Amino acid sequence: MEFTFTEEQEMLRTSARDFLETECTEKLVREVEDGDEGYSPELWKKIADLGWLGLVYPEQYGGAGMNVIDLAVLYEEFGRTMFPSPHLSTVVLGGMTVLEAGSDAQKADILPKIADGSKIVALALTEPESAWEMKKTWDPEGVTVSATADGDNYVIDGTKLFVHDAVVADDILVVTRTKTGGNPADGITLFLVDAKSSGISVMPLITVAGDKQCEVAFNKVKVPKASIVGELNGGWAPLSKAMQVATVMLCAQMLGAGQRLLELSVDYAKTRIQFDMPIGINQYIQEHCVFLLRDVNGGRWSTYLAAWKLAEGEPCDFEVSVAKAWGSDAHEHACWCAHQVHAGVGYTVFDGVVPLYSRRGKTLQLYMGDTAYHKEKIATILEGWPAPEKPKAKPLGLWEEVPDRGWIPEWWNEFDKGT
Amino acid sequence: MDFNYTEEQEKLRKEVHEFFSSNLPSDYRPRGVGGTGTTLEQFQFWMDLQRKAGAKGYLTPGWSKASGGLGLSDMEQGIVSEETSYWGATWPGSQGIRVCGPPVHVFGTEEQKSTFLPGIAKGEVIWYQAFTEPDAGSDEANVSLRATEENDHYILNGQKTFITAPGPADYLYTLARTQDVIPKHRGISLFLIDAHSPGISYSALATLGIFTVDIFFDNVKVPKSRLLGELNRGFYHAMVTFEFERSTTGAAAGARRNLEELIEFCREEKRNGQPLLKDPAVRNLLADRAIEMELSWLQGWFAAWHFSQRDKLGSPPPEAGGLHGKVVSADRAQQLIDSLGLYGQLRRGSKYCKYEGRAANAWMSSRSTHPAGTIEINKIVLAGRGLGLPRIPAKFNKEIRAAVEGVGV
Ligand SMILES: Cc1cc2nc3c(=O)[nH]c(=O)nc-3n(C[C@H](O)[C@H](O)[C@H](O)COP(=O)(O)OP(=O)(O)OC[C@H]3O[C@@H](n4cnc5c(N)ncnc54)[C@H](O)[C@@H]3O)c2cc1C
Ligand SMILES: Cc1cc2nc3c(=O)[nH]c(=O)nc-3n(C[C@H](O)[C@H](O)[C@H](O)COP(=O)(O)OP(=O)(O)OC[C@H]3O[C@@H](n4cnc5c(N)ncnc54)[C@H](O)[C@@H]3O)c2cc1C
Repeated sequence: MEFTFTEEQEMLRTSARDFLETECTEKLVREVEDGDEGYSPELWKKIADLGWLGLVYPEQYGGAGMNVIDLAVLYEEFGRTMFPSPHLSTVVLGGMTVLEAGSDAQKADILPKIADGSKIVALALTEPESAWEMKKTWDPEGVTVSATADGDNYVIDGTKLFVHDAVVADDILVVTRTKTGGNPADGITLFLVDAKSSGISVMPLITVAGDKQCEVAFNKVKVPKASIVGELNGGWAPLSKAMQVATVMLCAQMLGAGQRLLELSVDYAKTRIQFDMPIGINQYIQEHCVFLLRDVNGGRWSTYLAAWKLAEGEPCDFEVSVAKAWGSDAHEHACWCAHQVHAGVGYTVFDGVVPLYSRRGKTLQLYMGDTAYHKEKIATILEGWPAPEKPKAKPLGLWEEVPDRGWIPEWWNEFDKGT
Repeated sequence: MDFNYTEEQEKLRKEVHEFFSSNLPSDYRPRGVGGTGTTLEQFQFWMDLQRKAGAKGYLTPGWSKASGGLGLSDMEQGIVSEETSYWGATWPGSQGIRVCGPPVHVFGTEEQKSTFLPGIAKGEVIWYQAFTEPDAGSDEANVSLRATEENDHYILNGQKTFITAPGPADYLYTLARTQDVIPKHRGISLFLIDAHSPGISYSALATLGIFTVDIFFDNVKVPKSRLLGELNRGFYHAMVTFEFERSTTGAAAGARRNLEELIEFCREEKRNGQPLLKDPAVRNLLADRAIEMELSWLQGWFAAWHFSQRDKLGSPPPEAGGLHGKVVSADRAQQLIDSLGLYGQLRRGSKYCKYEGRAANAWMSSRSTHPAGTIEINKIVLAGRGLGLPRIPAKFNKEIRAAVEGVGV
């Protein structure tokens, strides 16, 4: 066991922090929030040049061949500066699904374009009904938007909701139902669709984070059969792999954001004077800071454990859900504590940075499943745990019949209690 | 980054696992709490098993071979600790093993080491850590058990309280005042005392969790050779004790065993025509426990790993310890007892009792988070040492008290 980062990872962290602290300022985050695109195209170009868009792709597709742990290091820094971008949609949910399930031709066409910054992808998974029925939101049960075969084409029909970054997407990865009955995961097909296809309409929603989540309506959209990614009816498996990576990246972002909130809060507690003393001398305020520390620390290794398992290619449903279940709740709590420490200035929209983290944090908490959703997944895994192992020595009957009435153990009666 | 155990670690785990699974009776179920049991037979059982474990070196795997240990690394110790906790082994000698032995190892004279350590390592003796007094709880430096020098010995007078007593004591590891100075923690010394020295007496102080005692000292003669470490430096030496007391990988393994048993119970027990496992509130509770188990596993191993790198990294940050567990365990015990409704109140042995009364037991014992420092003190340490937040300097404490109580300084 080793709780360390490689030298390369440390370098990536340092350079990402330096770069983002200069480029992704609070001012920029606010400007992006007010704009229509949800990202800064100039910054997108710059991070393409840094290699951050192809980080985890093989070199043959214009990538850097790094792994999910490296990506998590980068995402921690994204979280720290609230970097607003379609990175998760494009690189992880879109690109990694193509990498996992796409044909050689699709990979050769799409991944280099993602890596050089010329293609943005959005994932259209969740739907009005599934998002409301919270148990189905992130599961194949919730997918009803249909794709029906029509000669060499398919016709996609239905509405997707809470689609991140659809306003700027070149392509949309649409999760459709192509078969009903039986196992809900069997019958999911993925289409990578040109966002400008006729019949697609995109409408941004108004969210607390000011990010660009959209309604994407597919009105009998005709798409070629060749745009299927992976197997017909077999789209869920590769998609869910990319979703696991995305889930861990959200955890990493919350970790980075939480760490920043902790630093801001401790600094503020040390410098804000009320009643002739720094407020941080009061144990109420100290408790908020200590809880922030706990919230952040708890998420660190659970996030990297999940990332490590993904990188090793080991099954990790449990670890991913633990990281997100804890991470989302802890992040909400961390934001709350930061608000309490900052009081009035933690409530202002244009001056305070805490509300910015807080609003943007809500998206991270909800996306790819909130705490309740992942706890339910954990409970399902626990159902399959084996019975506890029984020891093997012959039974002694020492524990079976003994009532728990006494507070004082029997040996006490024989103990020499002295004078 | 690597979260795998090494092959050697797995081999060691198998050995220790085998030791417990072949020595514990098949009708034994770890109960999470309850210490060494209530009956004499249960106590004897644990003493016997403790000796067997001692013979294998499993009680003190990190101690040198000369002291009766196995000389294992921090990481390997972590493995032994995991297995021991997984099986819910409760050593009557735990205080000696975890708390009193290590400082003897670090500060003891050769004579003290050879006198005291082998007995602890072999599982033959029981120590109490006798620090707390009626007026010295969190404020450990306020001890007033007085040790007065007289020829070749010290004479001790005063009282200790809330001293965990997992069995009949052989020795006491005690903090006593040897000098009146300011600051007060500069006048305290550590003593290793025969539990049956003339003038010592004990009375029972039952708690909702572990059994504890009051200890009274009436002109107790302690040879000077039983002073541990430097005179008047005892408080600082004792801080080292706390480091030992707080580092552990065992908590998560114990939590895993508890969770396995709870899941098994929820599988078999039915409510509203379906297994408890299907009950939404119960699922929520189980998931919470699984999350905490996992986090505690990571934090326990992070701390063990950090210790193993102490030459490079120094000691682990204060937050690497167990605050997390302390803060949440009380909530979990409450969730469990509440999930059984009226039945939650029933103790083991009562008619209609469910889950062997473990919910009630866990709930009662969770009311105490005091041993090894209260939650509040842990938070203060984290805020101060961990985050560098300011505190009112101790030299003003008396003035504040005077101002608040309206009495002269
Ligand atoms: C929406 C809104 C509307 C408002 N409307 C009005 C209005 O109409 N009129 C008006 O006059 N003001 C108004 N205020 C200001 C409000 O009264 C202050 O925000 C409030 O008094 C707290 O002061 P502060 O924000 O400066 O926080 P601070 O006093 O700096 O407190 C920061 C943190 O330290 C804590 N703290 C401070 N001292 C101690 C201590 N001794 N012990 C423990 N903790 C401590 C606080 O609880 C808080 O958590 C409004 C504020 C808001 C957010
Ligand atoms: C089951 C059990 C077993 C124990 N075993 C042992 C043992 O083996 N050996 C031993 O020496 N002792 C033992 N103790 C004693 C234990 O260490 C003390 O109970 C503990 O240190 C707290 O002291 P106290 O009970 O006197 O509480 P106090 O120190 O009086 O504290 C009362 C309350 O005030 C809070 N408080 C105190 N100071 C501050 C502060 N500055 N800021 C904020 N809050 C503060 C505390 O957190 C607590 O909530 C045991 C106790 C229990 C319950």
